[in-house]
Amino acid sequence: MNSFSPLSTQPESSDVPMMTRRAAIARAAMLLGVAISPSLLTGVLQAQPAAAAVGAAAKPVYLTAKQFEAVSAIADRILPRSETPGALDVGVPAFIDLMVGKFLGEEDRKVVVAGLAELEAASGAAHGRGFAQLTGAQQDALLVTTAEAAKGKVRTFFHQIKELTVVGYFTSERVGKTVLHYDPVPGRYDGCIPLAEVGNVNWTK
Amino acid sequence: MANIQGAGTKQNTYDAIVIGSGISGGWAAKELSEKGLKTLVLERGRDVKHGDYPTATTESWEFAGRTRLPAAELAKQEKQARTGYTTHPASAHWFVNDLENPYSEEKRFDWMRGYHVGGRSLLWGRQSYRFSDLDFEANAKEGVAVDWPIRYADIAPWYDYAERFAGISGSLENLPHLPDGQFLPPMEMNCLEKDVKRRIAESFGGRPMIIGRVANLTKELNGRASCQYRNRCIRGCPYGAYFSSNAATLPAGYATGNLTLRPFSIVNQIIYDKDKGRATGVRIIDAETNEVIEFHAKVIFSCASAVASTFILMNSKSERFPNGLGNDSGELGHNLMDHHFKVGASGISDGFADKYFRGQRANGIYIPRFRNLNKETARKDYLRGFGYQGSASRLDWASSIKELSHFGSKFKADLIAPGPWRFGMGAWGECLPYHANRLTLNPALRDKWGQPTVTFDCGWKENEYAMRKDMKASAVEMLEAAGLKNVTGFDDVVNSAPGNCIHEMGTARMGRDPKTSVLNKWNQVHAAPNVFVTDGACMTSAACVNPSLTYMALTARACDQAVSELKKGNL
Repeated sequence: MNSFSPLSTQPESSDVPMMTRRAAIARAAMLLGVAISPSLLTGVLQAQPAAAAVGAAAKPVYLTAKQFEAVSAIADRILPRSETPGALDVGVPAFIDLMVGKFLGEEDRKVVVAGLAELEAASGAAHGRGFAQLTGAQQDALLVTTAEAAKGKVRTFFHQIKELTVVGYFTSERVGKTVLHYDPVPGRYDGCIPLAEVGNVNWTK
Repeated sequence: MANIQGAGTKQNTYDAIVIGSGISGGWAAKELSEKGLKTLVLERGRDVKHGDYPTATTESWEFAGRTRLPAAELAKQEKQARTGYTTHPASAHWFVNDLENPYSEEKRFDWMRGYHVGGRSLLWGRQSYRFSDLDFEANAKEGVAVDWPIRYADIAPWYDYAERFAGISGSLENLPHLPDGQFLPPMEMNCLEKDVKRRIAESFGGRPMIIGRVANLTKELNGRASCQYRNRCIRGCPYGAYFSSNAATLPAGYATGNLTLRPFSIVNQIIYDKDKGRATGVRIIDAETNEVIEFHAKVIFSCASAVASTFILMNSKSERFPNGLGNDSGELGHNLMDHHFKVGASGISDGFADKYFRGQRANGIYIPRFRNLNKETARKDYLRGFGYQGSASRLDWASSIKELSHFGSKFKADLIAPGPWRFGMGAWGECLPYHANRLTLNPALRDKWGQPTVTFDCGWKENEYAMRKDMKASAVEMLEAAGLKNVTGFDDVVNSAPGNCIHEMGTARMGRDPKTSVLNKWNQVHAAPNVFVTDGACMTSAACVNPSLTYMALTARACDQAVSELKKGNL
């Protein structure tokens, strides 16, 4: 059964091609004589190209340009580009824009919008410039102040913006397929393997 | 689905009618049709063919909101969201719209429903344990509620039968209070789980920790593939690797040529003929057209889930049964049970830093009940007991967001690499059957088809609260003895409201005496013996183990009895 595992034949960093997933399902189904509905396989195929649209959308749909600029700067400081892609490389600002516009409840949305306004106000008071125009060190200092003020509280602006950034990053296609270990059909379970075998990164969930 | 409506009585007549297509209904459909009965299954929701699982292979980036539903969608499922996992975009479509399917609460009751073919057999937790005589004898020995009319010996061969077909993986342990079954090979524990198992056994006189007994195949069975370790069961499994009506029992029923399934068929009541002393059929409302249609049969199996079967019986009022079909005892709707849970402990290990696992195992470990088994383990503070379910894993990005002021390149690297190993476990505790815990019909609030709705009045009592203290303390004690660090106990009693565990039971209980119970030892309504109720409603007590395997066994046993009685001309 372990022949279904893409990891056994592919280097960790490569994208698992669409056919691997489809073939793995079809193969398992064929071997065992299970009927898989055509709509399911079609769904697998069609789901893929849509995902590629999660790219570097640079214009906000729901946030103002100013808010989007600040969100982008915050996401970049929380998860900057290093030897791995950063939040900006995987479309996190566009994700946050969508979340604030359509997915957050009214209360959370208000907290995020108010938090962005407060951050801009603090930035103006301290440096006479918008948050996005500050140096990285100045941005970090303001974010640390915001984080410290949030300690012991729940669902503050900083909690939410950090959560949205982390979720947006780690659930993105690029991170899921090239940074973490992507193995959608493991086909087996090994309870205790050397970490070195999988190169010290988490599985994609 | 052929359109049956408008046909005459003859065309609307079957040998057997099964209400509901979930775990119990699927089993009734399979057994009755395999035994040669022309069987009609009535399912209130939409049809779902095996394989029609729209999110089964969807990756997180393919959901518009990744892990979230839009706020406007969530607003339709505020009660369904109470578990914390049901309204994820991968599974929300399997749960009802609360606005269209309202109910009322004297006290909070979390009623999770899946209205579609397969019901909650597509969504269940799949943990599968046998009851033992410790459970079947408890009410009688303690003078609680009423005695079960059966003992382990009555159901044991039916557990064998159900397990062989469903496919339960697990290990043989020779524990008298958690009987072994017909198991497929067990799943594997990971490094930390094995270590914790060894240390708990050393510190607590051999107390066992076993791999979960789970209805996921570890070998192919009847054309169903073995588990692929994706841990996406709740979405529906295209491999048919876990037991569901859709993958297992309904296809077996269809293969006989005797099975007809009618979706969008809401059973409003069971029709009773007082001269014959039998039920003659059911009246349904077509969920799409609102048309009222009658179907007739010699035997009727109500397998709609505990609450829904009870609703149907209560709503089946007649001159003979003014308080609901079979409710001579007044117990119908009472003795509502669920398991109480969301209490336990977790801790961090500083070992195994160079170890990991491969595959996402849709199963955990189980620590079988170790309290009130005998004199040596007797407790003064509560009756019955609990078992733990848990697992070890490595912390990942999803559990690391809370460290607020840590961000930047190092933060990102920390989230990409596996964090330390963490072991967590929670207890599932037995709840006693209390007459006061009940559901009633609410004629003042009608659903969109004009039917009355249900009101719950159910709460935990002293025995459950006393047990919870031990559930938490024992978890902390074991994990500390296992050498874990930062061991933290938890008790989320608020979110362990009745119903949240999705093990509703007891509202049409089995018993020996028609004066104090609704069903006899064959799951027949005492006063309407051609009506069988084999879902959670029949349970006389809850035990502390997950109940679905017991519904399977009781259903198969009741079907055998029904056909045998039909052949003798007794029904």
